[in-house]
Amino acid sequence: MSPLAAAPAADPTLQDFGKDPWWLIGGKVLVIFVFLVLTVLISMWVERRVIGRMQLRVGPNRHGPFGLLQGLADGVKLALKEDIVPRQVDKVVFVLAPILSAVPAFISFIIIPFGPNVSVFGHQTALQGTDLPVAVLLVLAMSSIGVYGIVLAGWSSMSPYSLLGGLRSSAQVISYEIAMGLSFVAVFLFAGSMSTSDIVAAQHDTWFAVLLFPSFVVYVITMMGESNRIPFDLPEGEGELVGGFHTEYSSLKFAMFFLAEYINLATLSALATTLFLGGWRAPAPISTVWAGANSGWWPVLWFMVKLWLFIFFFIWLRGSLPRVRYDQLMKLGWKILMPFSLGWILLVAAIRAFKNEGYDMQQITIVTVVVAAAILGGTILWEMLRGGEGEEGAAAEAGAAPADPFAGGFPVPPLDAPHYHGRTAGTGARAATIGTRSEEVTRGTH
Amino acid sequence: MTSHVSAALAPGGDIPAPHIEYGQIMPILLVLGVAVAGVLVEAFVGRTWRYTVQVPLAFLGLAGGFAWTIVLGLRDETHAVAAEGALGVDGPTLFLQGTILILALVSLLLIADRGTGSFAAQAAALPGSEAEQRTTAAGIIQTEVFPLLMFAVGGMLIFPASNDLLTMFVGLEVMSLPLYLLCGLARRRRLLSQEAAVKYFLLGSFSSAFFLYGIALLYGYAGSVKLGDIAAEAGRDAGSETLLLGGIALLALGLLFKLGAVPFHMWKPDVYQGAPTPITALMASCTLVSAFGAMLRVFFVAFENLTWEWRPAMWGVSIITMIAGAVIAITQTDIKRMLAYSSIAHAGFLLTGVIATSREGLSSTLFYLAAYGFTTVGAFAVVTTVRDAGGEAGHLSRWAGLGKRSPLIAGVFAFFLLAFAGIPLTSGFTGKFAVFKAAVEADATPLVVVGVISSAIAAFFYVRVIVVMFFSEPEADGPTVVVSPATAAAVVLGLAATVVLGVLPQPVLDLAGHAATQMFVR
Amino acid sequence: MDLYVPIIVLGVLAFAFAAGSVAMAAVTGPKRWNRAKLEAYECGIEPTPQPVGGGRFPIKYYLTAMLFIVFDIEIIFLYPWAVAFDRLGIFGLVEMVLFILTVLVAYAYIWRRGGLEWD
Repeated sequence: MSPLAAAPAADPTLQDFGKDPWWLIGGKVLVIFVFLVLTVLISMWVERRVIGRMQLRVGPNRHGPFGLLQGLADGVKLALKEDIVPRQVDKVVFVLAPILSAVPAFISFIIIPFGPNVSVFGHQTALQGTDLPVAVLLVLAMSSIGVYGIVLAGWSSMSPYSLLGGLRSSAQVISYEIAMGLSFVAVFLFAGSMSTSDIVAAQHDTWFAVLLFPSFVVYVITMMGESNRIPFDLPEGEGELVGGFHTEYSSLKFAMFFLAEYINLATLSALATTLFLGGWRAPAPISTVWAGANSGWWPVLWFMVKLWLFIFFFIWLRGSLPRVRYDQLMKLGWKILMPFSLGWILLVAAIRAFKNEGYDMQQITIVTVVVAAAILGGTILWEMLRGGEGEEGAAAEAGAAPADPFAGGFPVPPLDAPHYHGRTAGTGARAATIGTRSEEVTRGTH
Repeated sequence: MTSHVSAALAPGGDIPAPHIEYGQIMPILLVLGVAVAGVLVEAFVGRTWRYTVQVPLAFLGLAGGFAWTIVLGLRDETHAVAAEGALGVDGPTLFLQGTILILALVSLLLIADRGTGSFAAQAAALPGSEAEQRTTAAGIIQTEVFPLLMFAVGGMLIFPASNDLLTMFVGLEVMSLPLYLLCGLARRRRLLSQEAAVKYFLLGSFSSAFFLYGIALLYGYAGSVKLGDIAAEAGRDAGSETLLLGGIALLALGLLFKLGAVPFHMWKPDVYQGAPTPITALMASCTLVSAFGAMLRVFFVAFENLTWEWRPAMWGVSIITMIAGAVIAITQTDIKRMLAYSSIAHAGFLLTGVIATSREGLSSTLFYLAAYGFTTVGAFAVVTTVRDAGGEAGHLSRWAGLGKRSPLIAGVFAFFLLAFAGIPLTSGFTGKFAVFKAAVEADATPLVVVGVISSAIAAFFYVRVIVVMFFSEPEADGPTVVVSPATAAAVVLGLAATVVLGVLPQPVLDLAGHAATQMFVR
Repeated sequence: MDLYVPIIVLGVLAFAFAAGSVAMAAVTGPKRWNRAKLEAYECGIEPTPQPVGGGRFPIKYYLTAMLFIVFDIEIIFLYPWAVAFDRLGIFGLVEMVLFILTVLVAYAYIWRRGGLEWD
């Protein structure tokens, strides 16, 4: 029943923490800090090089070997730029916001396990800053505090772009935090713990990415949303909001937001590794062939490989996906990911409860498949029944505004199309819009 | 620290499933279940059908809950705690719950009455806006009223039944939050209604905060939120006196606010006036019953050994409530405000029953609550029938000569007013007599003297309304009386109860006495 | 409390770094006064006058925040349940299914009333 009992004694669990001497605490903290700063510098370089390759360019290659020092050069450049504090801003909050954004980003990483118990100057300790009974909650809490940094930056700037960017960003992050929080539930269910070391220990046999694949998928999607990056980078959509919440920031204050974003990237990747990809455990072929792969300092290597694969995945997405529309983003978060996650949790919990009660696994599987098929069939049927209405509506809309996208020989968006800012050219179309609105009012959906 | 944590997280050791006596708390579950079903109806039933579905659903929920309460009351072993000691199921609780449910049924008659149209078409539409005009013209009614009502009634059922303070707080909030919303849903004079809702919400939140702070202090004192444990700890006379007294004071403040006792009565006239009249009827009857039930339980169970501590303060509150309610009511010109102050004065009379802390005090308070509840629902039902172009004719001067225009309605209203005043052969007299008798037996004669005096003062303004109705000439453009069947049914029920409880009170007095024999469970 | 010491230490270090950087920028960067530079940036046009306190913004964001609170609290109830799941048995499952269904009723209501639409 308990995954903890199955783990070998060498694996750290929650009981092993809180016993470090002060020099070890200091050392660990310093290593994590330096690791994060280096990760940011390197991932900036990696991102630009990889994106460059994907776009058939070279990318930065001037500073240091292969341009490796590009990130550092950017940092120094930012430090030497003027630190503009615009006239209208709320000064205290304006200065506080970048700090409030950066500090929680650092703190989250302290509960990420880099490896199992090792000996440091004769002292047995786990390769992990610390662990809490509620370690994953710390990450969620810190990401929530990070939202304050964004909101306050947007608000204190007293500029429309900043305000809208900050609001959008916070709405997006909290929307995706729901689905993200739900994707963790199944993990906690199977690990029986919220402490990261226990969760890694519980993946001794099977990674949760395999066992709980839908949760993993939901997490990967939500971490895109949480990190405010393409395809969900609407808060900073430069086409519409210039720079979003950090429009008014310059110099090292801007650098702090940048730093926080890249640290969050690393944290989310590390959390994905820890919760779903077995943490520091060696991948299957290696651990079966080589028994020593999961002890000593080697696991740090596996952890790094998984972490960087994830970061690469982020960059890859940025190179290949377009930005989604804001209503699509919210629809995905609230109407698809959330009900899906809840359903998945109920399914997983039911299966596990019946297994605990001693029912036959095969029976459970059959019943599950039947139920899932019934739900799926019902949904498809519902969609088909509703689909008729939708098509009619679409046809009516299409009839209202026939537009030639190649008018004048260039592919330009038609200016009088009703969905452009809701403005319409013809009076007939305007009457139609008002008609819809009054219908909405009476339906109660306005 | 670490070992403590690991002990808490150690695997193995099944957590025992709590035992819930579903049968004994079924009235609460039924009402709340119907509320949830009502939300589903709102979500999935088309606008044209919602009203048709919601009204029978709400009726069935309340009637089912009432029937179940009666079945529970007919059994012998109605003296137990349910749901791991969170809820008490005993005689007084069942009596109160039954009273709340039947009064809610009568209020539902008013709420469901489409003819009077008391509720806003679209609460979210700005008053005076185009959207409001359009929704009103479309003949829409905000049917969320029904689930909200059911949630409120569910909270009212939990509030007096809760055997620990946290459950009580949950009940308080489940009761109050829908009421805040319902207050703001009046169809006419919407700004007044919304102002009332905001006032009620703000002051209610303050009182909830006080209540919660009181719970915190009492928990600090007794190490438990269970009423019985607090009583036991107070009986041992140990622990910090400051925490205990502070806790009692803050808890009492939260409860007295819900009763509308002076000096926590400020919300009552404004809210009663602004809220849609059916909701006012609900608040004046059911909320009062529920709040007094909770008050009785807290003071009879948790603070039973501390009567010397809280009684003097409660004396003061009771006296000023009776006097202030009666005196300020004289100056009122709006009929709903006048009834609100009358309700404040009645809260003072009821408090004398609480102060008696005897079995007679309990049973007489229970009887008074039932009697007053019916009378006040009937009175507000009459108020909804007197209408002019702007909706209900609230101002007293508009009621001039109503006796000539509609002798029946004016006569009924006069009878209700006489019942409020406590004239013999009405339920008001029986109730007051029972409460004052219990108070005299508990050595609270000065309170009774004050009570009688303030009754005399109150009689003055009740009679004044009667005089206005019957002995002055009707205005040319005076209000008309519109009585639809549902409202008429509510008026008749209120009237019948007022007459029966005045003329033949003994069965109900016996019932209340029987309910109070074993006092509250702990 | 030992478990929390490294978090506090790292927090202090990170704060010192962030605050130090922000303070340092004032020293290392140049200072050249220019009126236009101190205006809000709106792509070169005259900045929109901002009301004191930031003014009003669409109520959709407020609604989203309220919904977030509702569902975040649901999640917070799910976590301890998930951790103690094996010890709660079938009763825990049934209760949680009821709880989730109750919240889903509210969710269905919000959805049908257009609370989740962004246009």
